Amino acid sequence: MLEVRDLAVEFDTEHGRVRAVNNVSFSVNAGEVVGLVGESGCGKTVTGLSLLGLVPSPPGKVVHGEILLDGDDLLKLDEAGMRRIRGSEVSMIFQEPMTALNPVLTVGYQMTEVLRLHKSLSQQQARHAAIDMLGIVGIPAPSKRIDEYPHEMSGGMRQRVMIAMALSCGPKLLIADEPTTALDVTTQAQVLDEIVRLQHQFEMAVILITHDLGVVAQTCQRALVMYCGQLVEAAPINSLFASPLHPYTQGLIGSIPRIREHKIERLPVIEGMVPDIAALPDGCHFADRCNRVQADCHERSPVLTPSADAGAVACWHPLEPQHD
Amino acid sequence: MAAAPETIARVAAPPHQGLWSKAFHKFCRDRAGLVGLWVVVLYAIVALGVWLGLWASDWAEVTGPKWGPVSAEHWFGTNLIGQDIFARALYSTRTAFELGLVVAVLSTFVGAVLGAFAGFFSGGWIDELVLWFMGVIDSIPFYLLVAAIAFSLGDSPYAMYIAMIATFWVGTSRLVRGEVIKLKELEFVEAAHAIGLSEVAIIFRHILPNTFHILLVQATITFVAAIKSEVILSFLGIGIQDGMSWGLMIAESTIEVLAGFFNNFIAASLLMFGLVMAFNMFSDALQDALDPRSVR
Ligand SMILES: Nc1ncnc2c1ncn2[C@@H]1O[C@H](COP(=O)(O)OP(=O)(O)OP(=O)(O)O)[C@@H](O)[C@H]1O
Ligand SMILES: [Mg+2]
Repeated sequence: MLEVRDLAVEFDTEHGRVRAVNNVSFSVNAGEVVGLVGESGCGKTVTGLSLLGLVPSPPGKVVHGEILLDGDDLLKLDEAGMRRIRGSEVSMIFQEPMTALNPVLTVGYQMTEVLRLHKSLSQQQARHAAIDMLGIVGIPAPSKRIDEYPHEMSGGMRQRVMIAMALSCGPKLLIADEPTTALDVTTQAQVLDEIVRLQHQFEMAVILITHDLGVVAQTCQRALVMYCGQLVEAAPINSLFASPLHPYTQGLIGSIPRIREHKIERLPVIEGMVPDIAALPDGCHFADRCNRVQADCHERSPVLTPSADAGAVACWHPLEPQHD
Repeated sequence: MAAAPETIARVAAPPHQGLWSKAFHKFCRDRAGLVGLWVVVLYAIVALGVWLGLWASDWAEVTGPKWGPVSAEHWFGTNLIGQDIFARALYSTRTAFELGLVVAVLSTFVGAVLGAFAGFFSGGWIDELVLWFMGVIDSIPFYLLVAAIAFSLGDSPYAMYIAMIATFWVGTSRLVRGEVIKLKELEFVEAAHAIGLSEVAIIFRHILPNTFHILLVQATITFVAAIKSEVILSFLGIGIQDGMSWGLMIAESTIEVLAGFFNNFIAASLLMFGLVMAFNMFSDALQDALDPRSVR
């Protein structure tokens, strides 16, 4: 359904031009939940924004690539065409539910606005649709709460409103950029459950952006691992956790805290620092932190190549696939 | 009695604590602000009465002797051709409100729209253009601008209005531009983009409503500025062209003051001072109440 080919996004900064997304290719099937993981600054949000044509410009620019939604290249659309896609075919929800709703407008105003923009509904019909939608995402007494202002709602409630807005026009694809990071742990779980439930109900695809592999394990069918703007591994969840191929993925999995294990001596972390994307080393960008590094890693950049188990990895010396 | 539980729930619910209700409560605790507001309302009633023809409709008629003294019939005496000074001062209240309201509303509107566009597209050509306009207008002395506009419009009664609007939008615009540069970085603007709204819709429907507290305060400040400027412009002969105003009364009184007759001057100054003072008190209290940084 969604196919991204060779996408590259650059930003003009004081330190020169940086490539935040570097030749990324992936696809998302209809009705599939795909996790996009990686450390802070690796380009997850920029990838998500570019799918909606929302890369801030200037300073950002999509340099090349194709974003095919059911075969149509979104990058070839003009601004008006892109606006018809946003919020109706592809929706996005953001990290901060506290600031993602306009503080001076009621929830009802903001919800009917989306509905009336993309569907030809009367004010009254839009209001009914909005109330229904608020009920679907689990807001109690939606016909009362629709007239409230965002500050009268809790963080979890607001994130539900954001989800209701994003889903109200029945999108094919939902991009959820760290939708639960700003919420407390119990609310996090509830909102994630809600997203999964609605994903089934509306049969839409979801790209779940997060740096929490635990969340990915719970909710996604497939995961994409990004490092310094590149996709380093893509694999179905089971094989990714059972047998990661990229040393970076292995490191990420190793750094998930395991609460149930009694003695945690030291949380394994990946040694070293993420390189500055303005001054990336030659060859494999992970080479300096990699425990399997060899001489050729510093010379040639690995490209994403398909592996067994429907996955793909960009590494010259990947880990052995583990079976059983 | 079926509605009873709901009523209880509503009473028990936490009070509405939005920016506006908070501001309202804070304003109500400000004595000076309240006094200011009531005085302004009183003036507004006077102006409305003049407009409806309830009083001061005989301001242009000769109703007494030349330079008549203060009496029960003529509370402020009469002027050099025997017109009632009190009626003229009351009538001028209407002129002041007309001018203040028109100039405040229009220049706030122009300032808000231009400032919002400049801020939203900051760094772009729209911003450059608006900033250039602001720079030009700031560099022309106000009274020179009015004179220029008055002459170019051939002594049109609107010259003063146009000149004031052309000048007063700048201050509002600067404030709004700064605020919008901050606002547009907030996530709700990105979310508005993500639902497919156009930039113009985002500016008018999502950004400008967030600057409303600034616009309200700016409108009151502009109102006062317009009334004060009118006096000087009318005195110079490039202000109010027909009708009566405090500025025209003071202009008229210059001859009288030399002859030792102060009633015209005192009546006009006193009424104008009262309104300006009250409006300033109201405006200050409003500013305090709406300041998002203030605690409580
Ligand atoms: N507006 C911008 N101007 C300049 N550079 C930017 C901008 N937005 C992103 N970048 C660059 O793109 C890189 C990737 O940013 P992005 O926000 O996609 O990271 P992320 O993976 O979402 O991180 P996080 O987990 O912290 O959200 C950043 O390191 C930054 O250098
Ligand atoms: Mg991000």
